[in-house]
Amino acid sequence: MNRTKNGSDEMELSRIDHILASEEPLIPSSGFLESVMERVREEAAAPPPIPFPWKRAIPAVLLSAGIFGWAAFELVRLGLLTVGKLSAVGSASLAMPHFSAAAAQPFEPAGWVALALGTSLLSWLLARSLAGRSGLL
Amino acid sequence: MQAAISAADDLADVNRVLAGDVQSFEGIVRRWQGPLINMAWRYCRDRGRAEELAQEAFLRAWRGLSQWRRESSFSTWLFALAANVFRSELRRFPTVTVPLEAAPEPSGPPTQHNTLSKELSSGAVRRAVLALPQRYREPVVLFYFHEMDLAAAARTMGLPEGTMKARLSRARALLRRRFPQLETEHAEIEFGALNPGKEA
Repeated sequence: MNRTKNGSDEMELSRIDHILASEEPLIPSSGFLESVMERVREEAAAPPPIPFPWKRAIPAVLLSAGIFGWAAFELVRLGLLTVGKLSAVGSASLAMPHFSAAAAQPFEPAGWVALALGTSLLSWLLARSLAGRSGLL
Repeated sequence: MQAAISAADDLADVNRVLAGDVQSFEGIVRRWQGPLINMAWRYCRDRGRAEELAQEAFLRAWRGLSQWRRESSFSTWLFALAANVFRSELRRFPTVTVPLEAAPEPSGPPTQHNTLSKELSSGAVRRAVLALPQRYREPVVLFYFHEMDLAAAARTMGLPEGTMKARLSRARALLRRRFPQLETEHAEIEFGALNPGKEA
């Protein structure tokens, strides 16, 4: 009785095993080796991929993180202030809180718009400067 | 076949390639082209595709040669890498297979002189392996590629031997259920071998 190699000793060899185990080996075609080596040589001769410009990107990343962090902090602070005011006024004025806030501080949104525009301008200038230095522009 | 390939030659060639000698990779390809093409063939049963897959595996090996940690043999690393390449490439562009139930069944047990019928049944069984569910197909392919060395097949798949064994048993059961006649034939062959005078 034939048995398989290590680890599967209890498996008796069946006809299916014989069929699957006894295959005529394929001989590689004559050009296979050369074709693999050609591709390897191509890869070896290719210039290395351009690394990501971390040195240039880090200031921009830090700046963006700072702006977003500050914006998040301001939002939370304003939110807490609004909640505080609302709770002080009482539940009667809960129906239309935005009208009173807008009436009290009419120019506050303009400041946010200006900040957003400034940030966009800054990031555009930074991106343009980075692209110009790397020869893309 | 694989045991005859010198591990020392592999190591020397890998060191030379890592030192910048591209041409030394040729030694690796020369030694392993046969095994890798045959392994790929068992995955897809298409000669042209098998060579493409083997070529892709060699390229990945070239790119990742520095990742071979030398804890295992070069062949173990290469086969595991090749199995990953074959699996992912065949997932992207699968070979055309028929469901296991639709795989042609041999018409009957072949006689001693019926070699054509034998060839047909062998072909049917080999094609049926490709129709097995994915989780059972690869253990079968690798087990028989590694000349029924369960440990080597498990290392190539990166699976514990127990898991490999369980999947293999299930796969063999599926194949036996699909080809019950081959089991009958097996019994007849064994009986014939025990009583050779009866056949004459």
